[in-house]
Amino acid sequence: MKILAWRAALLLGALAAWEALARPLSPVLYVAPSRLPAAFSRIAAVNDMPPLGAHAWLTLEEVAAAYALAVSAGLWLGFLLGLRRTVGRIYEPLLAAVYAIPSVVWYPSLMLFFGLGPASKIAFGFLLGFFPVALSVLAGIRQVPQHLITVAVSMGARPGAVFRKVMLPAMASTMVGGLRAGLALSVVGVLVGEILGARAGLGYVINYAYGLLMTGEYAALVLIVGAAVLTIDATGAWLESRVRRWTT
Amino acid sequence: MSAAAGEQIVLRDVSKRYETASGTVPAVEDVNIAVRAREFVALLGPSGCGKSTVLGMIGGLVRPDAGRVSIDGVAVTGPDPRKVALAFQDPGLFPWRTALDNVGFGLELQGVPAARRREIARALLEPMGLRGFEAKYPRELSGGMRQRVAIARALALETPIVLMDEPFGALDEQTRILMGEWLVGIRARTHKTIVFVTHSLQEAIALSDRIVVMTARPGRVKDVVDVPLPFPRNVNAPEVVDLRAKLWEQVREESLKALDIRL
Amino acid sequence: MDHVIAPDRRQWPRATVAAAQLASVAGAVLVWETAVRLRVADPLFVPTPSAVAAAVFSGGAETLPRLCDTLLKALSGYALAVVIGVTAGLVIGSRRMLHDVAMPFVVALYGIPKILVLPWIALVFGLGLSTAVLTAALFAVFPIALMVAAGTRDVDPSLITVARSMGATRRQIEIKILLPAVLPSVLAGMRVGMVFAMLGVLLAEMFAGVRGMGFLMQRMAMSFKAAELFAATLIVSTLSIAVVLLLEHVNHRLGRWR
Repeated sequence: MKILAWRAALLLGALAAWEALARPLSPVLYVAPSRLPAAFSRIAAVNDMPPLGAHAWLTLEEVAAAYALAVSAGLWLGFLLGLRRTVGRIYEPLLAAVYAIPSVVWYPSLMLFFGLGPASKIAFGFLLGFFPVALSVLAGIRQVPQHLITVAVSMGARPGAVFRKVMLPAMASTMVGGLRAGLALSVVGVLVGEILGARAGLGYVINYAYGLLMTGEYAALVLIVGAAVLTIDATGAWLESRVRRWTT
Repeated sequence: MSAAAGEQIVLRDVSKRYETASGTVPAVEDVNIAVRAREFVALLGPSGCGKSTVLGMIGGLVRPDAGRVSIDGVAVTGPDPRKVALAFQDPGLFPWRTALDNVGFGLELQGVPAARRREIARALLEPMGLRGFEAKYPRELSGGMRQRVAIARALALETPIVLMDEPFGALDEQTRILMGEWLVGIRARTHKTIVFVTHSLQEAIALSDRIVVMTARPGRVKDVVDVPLPFPRNVNAPEVVDLRAKLWEQVREESLKALDIRL
Repeated sequence: MDHVIAPDRRQWPRATVAAAQLASVAGAVLVWETAVRLRVADPLFVPTPSAVAAAVFSGGAETLPRLCDTLLKALSGYALAVVIGVTAGLVIGSRRMLHDVAMPFVVALYGIPKILVLPWIALVFGLGLSTAVLTAALFAVFPIALMVAAGTRDVDPSLITVARSMGATRRQIEIKILLPAVLPSVLAGMRVGMVFAMLGVLLAEMFAGVRGMGFLMQRMAMSFKAAELFAATLIVSTLSIAVVLLLEHVNHRLGRWR
């Protein structure tokens, strides 16, 4: 209880400090929290701003497509490398090496190939989200206790049954962790793509506000998108803890 | 190769080597063991003498490099859940399944319908003192309970042979002794052939009809001792004390070799 | 999946695995070259590996200074992030109350895509050096702080008890016990932080830059200079892998007692 009180105090204190610091400074550059409610209503009113709903929907579609691709490819590659030892030994280091490269270097090439439309954003979101999924499958397979597999085999389980009845449940929480991280990264990928250059979508709207120096609206948008992302991730975290409790 | 009358499990001139990073390690060499149907045979020996390897070979989990392992005259090529069930020191219960579902696992693999599986599982768990715990998960059970569930899981397969690899090794002494008594009761009721690995003389003498003493690595059969005493066995009876002394002499020699200590 | 069920089998020796990796990469390059030559892929969008290789060498004059520029900004931002992140991590990690109160906020801030804040940073600090360095710092500071905080929290309390029983002051405990104990986490966080710092710089350069590799690559994309762009991507990628390998090596050297 005391902790919650302190957290509330911290939050209020931060807001107060923000207000105090921002108020006397140039309103073009610095947005005090008190300006936000008005900015929210202006966004909703769709007068000087592009319709948020339509753009948000597009971004959502891009994220869904990118994530679907990331999960399919990630699971496929993860299981391929994890279940076939020789293939895994050859290609996993290559995967890890590519993972060490800052993802954004691929974006200009994607833009060149796919153009400024949704395709490049989907491609980038897929690229970012794919790695955590694949790597979590590999890690998940590795941490399955060998003994459980021995027990199942000693009772006559065939490889298919071992996979379905022992490996999958034992890997479940690690995999869900990877799926959750993959979602977060797919979202980031799509947003980065939209902000770096797009004609539609939430990133485009944010750029629009920024470009016209509508800093209040820009700040409001950042909070909206930020809150949305956090909510999505919180749902993922909740799912992950459920799976973890069920399988350990 | 013909089995002598009543011999159910036969190991003939069996050897096994393991490849490790630091070279080849011989686990067992020229092992000859015969187990008759319905016998309780204990494999006794120091750590690393290959007892678990022998068990693994009978269970079809480990393939011998030389020699032959056969059950009822047929060579063992892999796990055969119709003939052999295993229980290990680590109960290896699936954490995502309840006690009931764990016990039913082997039956599930064989396609037994769910209702029947649950029935069999419940019937096994009840006399083990686990009534009311069927819906509990392994993390909610004590070490002794988990091991009982693991053994119930092995028994559910209703195989003529049960192999046990130090199943009570991780339990405290009191629980160990009680579990031993309980196992004797199960055996009396079900008449199964049991091969039981242990490094405890006490346990071997209390539970088995015959004790196979193994040497330190590479494991060979050092001696085979009969234990023709009636059940239940009195730990303090003179025959038991004599037997323990005789066994200890042999095991001590091998244990010292295994530890490479000179006293 | 045999190796999972029966891990008894023999595996390929390391040399063969390395050869297979090389062969795979070489094979992929060959397929790529043939595909473009046969016009399966449009050379306007997908340059041949040979063209890319040529661009790597011919673009040297233009690329090298920009590469150094990017690297320098990344290192500056990284240094800033290390100072702030390690300090914050140590402080939050060692004070129980502060940790419990503040942690959810830090994690929440970490969860918000930092790209959202980039336009504002560019607005306030302009198009150029400060923006890039600050973005790098922003991206790198979170993983560093979080890892250091976790490492500090996980320090075995019995070590501290022993020190205190011998009369050590808070300062002495912090320097002689905490610091060496959290060093592995600090190094791990710093490794991750470096990649994030590079990410931040490149992102800032692409969004609001006038110099550096990110800006160059964005420009090449806009003018359809595919071969040059691929070459630049290759160069930056190699640089990052090299930096990560270097940091791994340093980490391995310093962490040998583990």
